[in-house]
This record gives sequence, C-alpha cells and structure tokens, in this order.
Amino acid sequence: MDGIQIESLTKTFRAGRVRALDGVSLAIAPGEVFGIIGPNGAGKTTLLGCLLGFLRPDAGRVTVAGHEPDDLAIRALTGYLPERLTLDRWMSGLDFLAYHHALARLPAASRASDAAAALARVGLDAEAGQRSIRRYSRGMLQRLGLAQALLGEPRYLFLDEPASGVDPAGVVLFRRLLAEVKARGATVVLNSHQLDQVERVCDRVAFVRQGRVEALETLHAGAELARVLRVRGPRGSIGGAVPREALEQAAARAGAQLREIAPPVARFAVGDDEGAVRLVQSLVAAGVPVAEVTAEEGRLERLFLEDGSAGGPA
Amino acid sequence: MNAALILATLRQRLASPSRLILLLLLGGTPLFVVLVSPRSGFAGLGDCYFLGLVFAAGMIGQDLSSGTLPLLLARPVTRAQYVASRWIAAAAGTFAVVTLQVLLAALIMLLRGVPLPWDEAALYLGTNALLALGVTAVMALLSSLAAGLGDLWLLFLVFFSAQVLEKVGQFKSWGWLVRGAEELLRTLRPEFSLTALAGGGPFPWLALVTYLSTVTLCLALAIVVVNRRELSYATSN
Repeated sequence: MDGIQIESLTKTFRAGRVRALDGVSLAIAPGEVFGIIGPNGAGKTTLLGCLLGFLRPDAGRVTVAGHEPDDLAIRALTGYLPERLTLDRWMSGLDFLAYHHALARLPAASRASDAAAALARVGLDAEAGQRSIRRYSRGMLQRLGLAQALLGEPRYLFLDEPASGVDPAGVVLFRRLLAEVKARGATVVLNSHQLDQVERVCDRVAFVRQGRVEALETLHAGAELARVLRVRGPRGSIGGAVPREALEQAAARAGAQLREIAPPVARFAVGDDEGAVRLVQSLVAAGVPVAEVTAEEGRLERLFLEDGSAGGPA
Repeated sequence: MNAALILATLRQRLASPSRLILLLLLGGTPLFVVLVSPRSGFAGLGDCYFLGLVFAAGMIGQDLSSGTLPLLLARPVTRAQYVASRWIAAAAGTFAVVTLQVLLAALIMLLRGVPLPWDEAALYLGTNALLALGVTAVMALLSSLAAGLGDLWLLFLVFFSAQVLEKVGQFKSWGWLVRGAEELLRTLRPEFSLTALAGGGPFPWLALVTYLSTVTLCLALAIVVVNRRELSYATSN
C-alpha cells in the first residue's frame, strides 16, 4: 500500500454548481511516474490539491501509502512544486532552501550543506544563492522551487507544471532530475501541458476532461526514441529500389530506429532534433532519395487532437 | 510551535521597509517624552498596542494573498502550529521592541541623573508582554479571516461599529447596548495590568479570566478558520 489510491473522488465548488472532479478513481503504483494531462479547467490542479490534502473532497477518498494525504508522516515524505510559484521573496535562495529544510524536519547539522547542494543540483550557482529571491528571473524561480521540492529526497513528489518558464537547458535538467528521482524509487505525480515532456518521462498518463478520467495511456518512460519522423521518397524508391536493410543501416548509424515502411514512406524514431538531423544526413549519405521529412505528433498530442477539445492544450 | 516558522515570521516582519519605518516611529517617539521629562518614568513610553498591530498586521492574511501558504502547508506542519507560531513570533517581536524602548529609556534616565525605578520597569514590561500577547491574538483571528492586510480593515470596522453602537446606546439610554459595545471594544484590546497587583488590593480575578478567555478564544477561532480553509487556485480566484 505504498502507492497513491484515489477512489471515486468528487469535488465541487460554488455550492455544488461547479463540478471540478466527478468520480475519479486511479491507482498510482509505488515508483511510478504518473502524468495528468487535459485541457484548461479539466480539474487537474483540483485533483493535485486533493492528493496533497489542500482540498476536502465532497465524496470519495485519497490515500497515500494507506494514510490520509495531510497526515504529517506523509507530509514529511512529500515534495511539492506548485503551478503558481510564489516564494518568500524577501529571503535569499539559500535562506529559502534552509527554511524549507527546517520545515521538512531534516537534520539541522547538514542544513547549510544540503541547501547548497540542492541549489547546485538545479544549476544555480553560489552567487544566485546569496541573491534575494525578488531578483530572480522566472526560470530561476522555477529551478529554486524544484530544488525546494527535492529537498530530503521525498518519496512522493507532486509537480504542477514544473518546466513552465524554464529555458531549454532547464527542461533537459528537469528531465534528468526526474530520471534520478525515478531511479531511487520515488512516486511522482506530474501535471503538465508540455505533452512531449510528459511523454518522455511518464510511465502512465491520465487524460482528464470535465473532471473525469477519459483515458489512461501506458507509455515507456525514459524512452530514448521519443519522436517519430515520416520520411517520404519519390515513388518506387522507399520500399522499392531502396530495400529495408539499407534504411535500417542508415537509421542505426544515426542512432535512430526504423519503425515501419509504407511505400513510399518510412517512419523512424529519433531522440530529439539533433537525432533527426543525423538521420537525414545518414539517409542522404546512404543514397536514399529524400523528398520530404515531417515530424509526427506524439501519442499524447494525438490523444488531445482526437479528443476534439478545441484544438488541444491551451 | 515551530522554531523555523517563528524565526521566519520575525525576519519576514522586519524585511518590510514600511513596517520598519512605522516601528521606528512608534518605538522612537515615546523616547522623546522620556528625554524631555525623565522624571515621568516608564509611564511616558505609553503601551505597545500599536506596536503590536504593526508587527501582527497580515501575519496570516499576507500568506493567503501571496500564495505562499500551500508550499508551507505541504510540509509536516499542522495548521494549529502555523497559527501559534505566527502569533508567538508577532508577540515576541513586539515585546523585543518594548524591551529595547525600556533599555533606552533607562539609559536616558541614567544620563539625566534620575534614579531608575526598577520595580516600575518590571511591571511595565510584564503588563506590555501580556498586552502584546493579547493584541497579536486578536490580529491572528482577524488575519485568518481576511487576505492581505484586510485584518486592519476588519479591526477598524469592528472598532468603528462598537463606537457607533455605544453612542446609539447612550443616546437611547439603552444600557445593555452600551455594555455590549464596551465589551466589544475591550475584546479588541485584551490586557491585564500588573500594576493593579502591585497596589495591594484584591486580586482582579475577573480581569485575568476575561483576558485569558479572550486570548484563548481568538487563537482557537483562528485555528478553526485556518483549518477549514481550502487551499486551491480554483477557490482563490
């Protein structure tokens, strides 16, 4: 019973006129990275609020490791990064981390060193640590918030739009930190609009709309090859004059993977933009005639679009 | 009680430039009275009611309006601990300023060759410690009810309403209304004077019970209000 159990959770606002959650049931396994996606107003943040014990459900129940979510024993094992990150702006970055270190009841003896290590972990230098939080940029605030959430290596991590406002290097750092968290067996609940990020880091994803879980998708977390490229050649080339083996070898040289051939189109899986460039170069070098290359939307993006929720995430 | 929260509250209160200026003005001005007439003793310092208001204003409400509360309450801190820590910090800060005032006033008296009334100083500090605990308890309750610095508006509203009711009661000769309004005004300023004890008369049990019950009730209600409050972007907007 170390995971998170959500049973028939219902939450309304404004005297029942707004139904934010409507009978949501989920079971999040220990060590799982679980994503929550859905359009604006779907109930994602309300769900996270119930998981953290900030909101009292009208009906249903949430348990974390068999306890109520606001149980102090669970709070001591919890890390949380809110969507609208408001920090105590009069503190310095290091003071803020030391403050949360103390609130988390972590040992005072290691407070200064733990705070400095947490700061370095999210790529903020010592000078930034001494600086007042009111002088932090949006991206720095988000990094500091993440450092705060990771203090004490929490067993349960709740992240609400963690990569919001973060530069590309920060996004990569966030993915790496999440991989570390997952590797040590923590359970992560991630609410994000950045579907490509969710697709890369989550084991499973719940698609929430109008307070209900409309779909549950199992993904392959940490998959190296997360993007799919469609490569089209002239008629008679791919799948004809250019055999499957030649395409597989060219893909392997670029660190990519041939998924399928539907002449004159071949679908390849690549890791990122650089992987895509390497694949095209490798295909051209192998003499494959390339007429057109297009990126396919991810699985979650397709889920969003197929759902017909006004063009996807806002 | 949570030591980290108490320290953070004290630092937060002192980090606001406008609050610091008000504290300097309220804490420094009475010292001029002592400077001008050192023989007036510590009575010239007045009391710490307004210092307490300045220290305590927005102690919970500012966390509600700024949005820092969810992050804080995601930690292993009960809401009762949170309220109690904020209250103790505000009272301790107020008392620290009063103590500094007394020390500076004593220094002025010494320099002006006036003998120091130590017993008076002890009674003054004790009475103001109780007043600081009282006024910050009232502010804890008001601050739990209103976001930002809305507690000051609530205080003004209750004070103004009580004054109006008192006048109406006097005009209509309704004794019960006058007494009710006076009780309301006393509730806004819970105090217990130790000077009365030094006088040697009967022990003022009623005043002590009234003081303790007001402080306890305010804190208990503040904890209930904070406990019942849901923390969500959905409800705050």
